[in-house]
Amino acid sequence: MKENCGERLTGHGSEWNDAKLSADDAKTATSWVEARVDKRAMLTQKDRVEDVRDVMWQLEKEGEIAVHRIEEQHKPKMVKTLFGWQKVIPTTQLWHHKSCGQCGNIPGYPTSLLWLQNEMDISYLDETDQTSCTAWNYHGSGIGNIVSLAAVFLRNFHQAYVSGKAQGFDDGHYYPLVHCGTSFGNYKEVRKFLLGSPELREQVRKILDKLGRLVDGKLLIPEEIVHYSEWLHVMRPEIAARRTIDVSHIRATIHPACHVYKMIPEDAIYDDDILEGNRVAVSTGLIEELGARVMDYSTWYDCCGFGFRHIISEREFTRSYAIDRKIRVAVEEAQSNVMIGHDTGCITTLDKNQWISKAGGPEKEVSLPVMADCQFAALACGADPYKIAQLHWHASPVEDLMEKMGIDWEAKKAGFEDYLEEVKQGHGESLYDPRLKITSGPGFKKIAAPVN
Amino acid sequence: MHAAGTRVQDFIGDPVSDEPVIARGDLEDVFNDIQADIRYDHDLNGCLNCGICTATCPAAHYYDFSPREIVQLLWTENLEGVYDAMQEKIWACAQCYTCAARCPFGNSPGSLVMIMREVAIKHGMQSAKDVLRPFSRVMLKLISTGNQLAPDMINPEHFADWGPNISKVDAPLKLLRQAIPMPTLNTTETAWEVNLKTSVELYTIWEMTGVLDQLETIDENLFDVIEDIMDEKREDYEDWLEDQEDEDDDDEDD
Repeated sequence: MKENCGERLTGHGSEWNDAKLSADDAKTATSWVEARVDKRAMLTQKDRVEDVRDVMWQLEKEGEIAVHRIEEQHKPKMVKTLFGWQKVIPTTQLWHHKSCGQCGNIPGYPTSLLWLQNEMDISYLDETDQTSCTAWNYHGSGIGNIVSLAAVFLRNFHQAYVSGKAQGFDDGHYYPLVHCGTSFGNYKEVRKFLLGSPELREQVRKILDKLGRLVDGKLLIPEEIVHYSEWLHVMRPEIAARRTIDVSHIRATIHPACHVYKMIPEDAIYDDDILEGNRVAVSTGLIEELGARVMDYSTWYDCCGFGFRHIISEREFTRSYAIDRKIRVAVEEAQSNVMIGHDTGCITTLDKNQWISKAGGPEKEVSLPVMADCQFAALACGADPYKIAQLHWHASPVEDLMEKMGIDWEAKKAGFEDYLEEVKQGHGESLYDPRLKITSGPGFKKIAAPVN
Repeated sequence: MHAAGTRVQDFIGDPVSDEPVIARGDLEDVFNDIQADIRYDHDLNGCLNCGICTATCPAAHYYDFSPREIVQLLWTENLEGVYDAMQEKIWACAQCYTCAARCPFGNSPGSLVMIMREVAIKHGMQSAKDVLRPFSRVMLKLISTGNQLAPDMINPEHFADWGPNISKVDAPLKLLRQAIPMPTLNTTETAWEVNLKTSVELYTIWEMTGVLDQLETIDENLFDVIEDIMDEKREDYEDWLEDQEDEDDDDEDD
């Protein structure tokens, strides 16, 4: 074991001393910790938190709030969360709550999801009347506050509730499906405080009233806040049934996103049949259902290094963490062929921050294809890697994975470059009727019948 | 000016002097603002100094930062220590909330850090201004468009360490964006096309929640730029509303 030279920056303060354990003792101590942190009990052995949905139903009963319900028309499926509570996942009539990081930087993330939904005749709406959740900026800078975050949450979800009107549907026709893990975590945290604080509700009510976004004078709260990875999870048998490429030889590592399951952990999906119920089930369940091999690695629990502000202005931290704590471990321990994630910041961080490992010389260089679960699923189901999965935006060596999957990426890329000529002529393809993207305000025109 | 002193001397004062640099009243104002946040009691339930939060903290691997220390400072109401931590340490946190998931007491050090960051901004601390200067592009984009990241922000000049593969197809950004089969994404200056009405609603939220005041405290120039953009968009929207009324009147006349 290497001796501590006295210059390690651990954050424990100057009084910190190395325990100087022998190699065997260190292994024993580490195993003791790992045996516990790798278990679901790490989260459940604490005092059980309340189910805020109970508070929500009570407030609705008292006439304080309105609830956007998941109804039969949304063809719901049930799942179980950390404490065994049931969560309802709508599977159709979905309002896409887009992610700024995905749309701006990894556009194949949402396009793969919409492509999968088209393949399964899922009804959805993607429109322009949506802001980001504003939480990336908030967590990075501190600009914003609980009131602004709550108002943005309620504005966007109210828009989802009324969005069907443009097509002649009743209120509540579309149900919001949140793409970003940070939006998902942030909205659930905000919901918790909204339901618990009459003062916060009153502050936000004034704002939503001014925006004309109350329902019968009440704040509208969604019955469930649903992440797209949860939709993929409940739809995994239907997705796997559409698989056209054998992926049984692919070794996949999963990076679970902090804001998906560490933030409001009681709402994350756990399944006894997936990783023995010890880790969050989304993504792993889908990748296993598709037939790929999900490989374990010791730093699965670590964050990606995104840090919100760090990826912009503390880049040494972000790239060091991504390379040394995630990518290198997945490659060396698990001999992974691909790392799969389910959140915006993680995919960006892990995908983009590999090239710089070359700076350490050939022995330090490390690389691994990185993509979102829905991109991998779309590829396995025959989606075009460039037109649909938009893999040209990925900096990591996704070509290696495509070769392993038997996809002739060079031919596909050449086909995409030819397609760009058609786009230049104004003949680009769309996953849905473009007229649907504006539901009110400037640019809105009522259409008789959408063409999908 | 605190040029000659150490950080402790600059912000906390000389420990052997009776006169601290930061007046007791100011320290109390800062601490009271932290405690006044509705999340404070939810996020801080007690602490036995077990350190599981720091053991699992990614920022603690790389910075002089410990979530255990943050919790202890707040729990013991160490006003000087809290103020000192707000000068630098709180900005190291990566906001992953691993600490919150693991804390046996159900504390959320990550969330407490957010409260402290908000208060640092409210009090116009120089540390907050310095730390947030490189983040201004994101703030400008967010406040003025409702998107935090846009395709035109991702270029090799800003992200040289991402290497040459920001796009593996050599074509203009505008064309590559038009080739995305989601019509809302055929944009370059925003991640998706945001309706003018939506932007105007967002401005109302910023105004009514004090976010613009925060921004003015931290970066007056950025605030001015954003205010101009907001005014322009509001005027555009007002014009559109007037046009609508005119069209409605014409329809009635017909």
